[in-house]
Amino acid sequence: MQSNLTRVQVFALAGILVLGAGATAAEKAAVKEAVKEAAKAPKGDGKQVRKETGSAGATAAAAKAFAKVSAELYPKAKQEGNIILYSVWDVEHLKVITDAFMKRYPGIKAIYWQGRNPEIVTRALTEFQGGQASFDVVLSDNAPPVIRAAGAIMEYNTVQRDVLYLHDPGMATVSLQIQALAYNTKKLKPADLPKSWEDVINPKYKGIVALDDPMRSGPLSSMLSGLKTQWKDDARFNNFVRGLKALNVPVHKSTSAMFRLVISGEYSICMPALLHDVMEEMHKGTPVSYVKTVPPVVFPRQAAIYAKAPNPNAAKLFAEWLISDEGQKTIDSVGRETSRNDFKSKTSIESAYGKNMKPLPVTDQTFLEDPKKWLDTYVKPIWEG
Amino acid sequence: MDLSSLPLSRSGPTARWNSIKLALRQGTLVPLLASAIAGAAIISPVLVVLWRSFTTGRLGFTVGLNLTNYLRVFGDRDILPMLGNSIFYAAGAAALGTGLGAMLAWIVARTNTPGKALVELMPLYPILMPPIMKNIAWILLLAPRSGILNGILQQFFGVETLVFNAFTMAGMIWVFGLACVPLGYLFLLPVFLSFDPSLEESAYIAGSKPVSTMLKITFPLAVPALLSAFVLNFLRGLRSFETPVLQGTPGNINVFVSRVYDSMALEFNTGLATAYSVVLVLLSVATLYFYVRATRFSERYATITGKGYRVKVIDIGPWKYLTFLAVFLYFLAGIVLPFVVLIVVSMIPYYDYETFMNFPANAVLNNYYTVMKHPSFVTGLYNSLVLSVTIALVTVLAGIVMAFTIYRTRSYGTKLFEFIGTLPLAFPPLVLSVGLVIIFIGTPIYNSLWALGLGLFVAYFPYAFRNASGSIVNIHKELDEAAWVHGARWRHVFFKITLPILKPSVGGALFYIFIEAIRNVDVAVLLTSPGMEYGPVTLFEYFRVGQWAEAAAGGVIYLIILIVAVSIAKFAFKMKFSL
Repeated sequence: MQSNLTRVQVFALAGILVLGAGATAAEKAAVKEAVKEAAKAPKGDGKQVRKETGSAGATAAAAKAFAKVSAELYPKAKQEGNIILYSVWDVEHLKVITDAFMKRYPGIKAIYWQGRNPEIVTRALTEFQGGQASFDVVLSDNAPPVIRAAGAIMEYNTVQRDVLYLHDPGMATVSLQIQALAYNTKKLKPADLPKSWEDVINPKYKGIVALDDPMRSGPLSSMLSGLKTQWKDDARFNNFVRGLKALNVPVHKSTSAMFRLVISGEYSICMPALLHDVMEEMHKGTPVSYVKTVPPVVFPRQAAIYAKAPNPNAAKLFAEWLISDEGQKTIDSVGRETSRNDFKSKTSIESAYGKNMKPLPVTDQTFLEDPKKWLDTYVKPIWEG
Repeated sequence: MDLSSLPLSRSGPTARWNSIKLALRQGTLVPLLASAIAGAAIISPVLVVLWRSFTTGRLGFTVGLNLTNYLRVFGDRDILPMLGNSIFYAAGAAALGTGLGAMLAWIVARTNTPGKALVELMPLYPILMPPIMKNIAWILLLAPRSGILNGILQQFFGVETLVFNAFTMAGMIWVFGLACVPLGYLFLLPVFLSFDPSLEESAYIAGSKPVSTMLKITFPLAVPALLSAFVLNFLRGLRSFETPVLQGTPGNINVFVSRVYDSMALEFNTGLATAYSVVLVLLSVATLYFYVRATRFSERYATITGKGYRVKVIDIGPWKYLTFLAVFLYFLAGIVLPFVVLIVVSMIPYYDYETFMNFPANAVLNNYYTVMKHPSFVTGLYNSLVLSVTIALVTVLAGIVMAFTIYRTRSYGTKLFEFIGTLPLAFPPLVLSVGLVIIFIGTPIYNSLWALGLGLFVAYFPYAFRNASGSIVNIHKELDEAAWVHGARWRHVFFKITLPILKPSVGGALFYIFIEAIRNVDVAVLLTSPGMEYGPVTLFEYFRVGQWAEAAAGGVIYLIILIVAVSIAKFAFKMKFSL
């Protein structure tokens, strides 16, 4: 009996090994292909690729590809010894993220400098023009495409691109900025809520909408860009901008101050708010929520590698690690939205809006690289006309 | 004998040669050289950004020498209404703040108002509160629909009309005007304290009432310091950004400086931002020209003379109750209200009128916990404390040396320093710091504490300089001349006469620059290096990301630390604002 069992076990084991080897070989081949593709990928034309849902195969392939690229890059990165980040993210978040990275990859010291997007662009491009090899990665939302347009980004196509919700072949999308239509729950009943972004221009909301300045590079202009791309209907777009103008409400240049004024009850609707801010406040019990039927606006947050990066391997490793399962968990732990379509978190589109929600990605290259030009062409004539 | 007037009354090469001979004899080349070095440090970033305004387009793209940026600025049809708003707002706030500060200084220095010993430092408390926190506190107080004051009027007095509105020009002037009070007070207090009281006494004997004496005798003699504070507050108002963004934009009031920021934030074009800033420079030059013209006969304002005098407080009779009421009202409106809002907001889960009024039943301390465990809180605070003390000392000393060079050595061409020393104020901080980055880039200074220190020196020099130049003209030249006649060299005059007499204003300027530098973010942000933990930049990100409750808690902690620091300075080092 014992010998029979042993024989069965041996056969079973052999079977598993054969299947496993086959699977591993297949996965290895897939990974090899992915890495090869990444290496020969055309230098990014900046076109965002959108992939809303993941698959088990893509998840496994991404994990393997990451393991391989990590094994390749780590020794070189360790030799470089440092990585310098410029980021718009909160210092508290950067500290958690860099600590986790240094724990995973001992021997690489990560330091950061934090500023707002205009400050990041100014510093990065002034240093670029001064020929300075001063930093490695820009971790931000609006800044990377602008810096790339000036030729100061080293294109890098991540090997984990198949699991990204929004993929840019030249810069790794490590997180998403998700904008929601938020409202004060003390001021508005669910039945009175706008049903869509377009519904906000309904005259009944006159006087209770807090509107972000559409003529600055901010959340509202991002949304307009996303809507224009999706609608492909100039008349509809122009009518929407005209409707916003007709609301005749004050505009705000500070999204955060505007959101606070909605919480305070000065306004009832926030057009728009950042989803992670809304979620955080809801978690604290603040009387604010978001309209779950209005498609969220999705803007990529990237880890872009500086063209004169002194530590390019550490920079690539950092970008890959941020997209890996561990990196995404770290990003999620600080309350920021993750960028993978197969990662479940409380701020992911699926858990915040449900499976069937079709979000509104911001992919217009002109808007991303030169917001002023885009606004002058499509919004200014209507808004200021 | 008036030594300075003899050789300088002539013109041409002879005057220049006599000026040099006199400088050599008195050793005044030393302060002249020191002023020239300080002037060079200040003018360099300004010249760099000015040059780039002719040679730069969008960042990252090189263009040749051209006038595109200026053509755009002067072809901008919105520029005039925006400038009008800026001038109205800056002048209104500067007049309110400087006037109120001067009145408080007069009450403290010249009258027998009861309890004034307690209020000596009081007008300075508002500068302990970070500027953006003041805006937030006042928005919560004055917001039309959710504001505390309108809420109270409605709840307790049945007033349905929305009386207060933060998002108006009046609201902006009120909030920024209150922020201008400390400068007015600091500039005027030393002048009033060092007054020869015989002029006021004569007025009282002749039957003049206190207010009339204040308006006809005291204030006219304090014109240089008053104008100096006004000019400074006016220039601060012209380039201030927080109040226009947080209160102006929602009220559809657009100011000129927003064009500068849009050029940076939307177009990433520092050349265009500088070209817009040049309009502010022209306005500043015109303002300074007006100031220099108004105070050109500086001897007229000299109240500290060689004659023996003793500072004497005037008994203003029953008027003292009115002055007490004035001080009390300022204390209530200018200090207590925003401070209470700040403290309550730091301890409630979120702000709305209902939650605010439920305090303290709903008090929580988790915002303080969040701030205290901020990764950069302790080290960042220590770094900024050390740097701010150093910057305050160096800047104030350099400011006095430059003012001394202009008004005492009378060397040829020193009036130019009057403009150079004030020039950084005309530039929005981000534009100025770009100039500094360009200068430092590629040198060992870049990304070091020196760069940050030099940046703060350039940014705060105008405050030290204007404070010193406003005070120095109140000291009659006869004191210096007595020393020059007896063969004194510059160091004797400077260290034995000028500096001791200026002691009260030195204390005030040190205090002001220390407080301003310790919370500076705008200039510091581009000059801090990666990995450098610098208190204000990291801690005040709460303001930037809109976590108002955490920001308020951070503000309260900073406030406590600053009150302790100032108390230590006052008692341990015997720092005084009075003679």
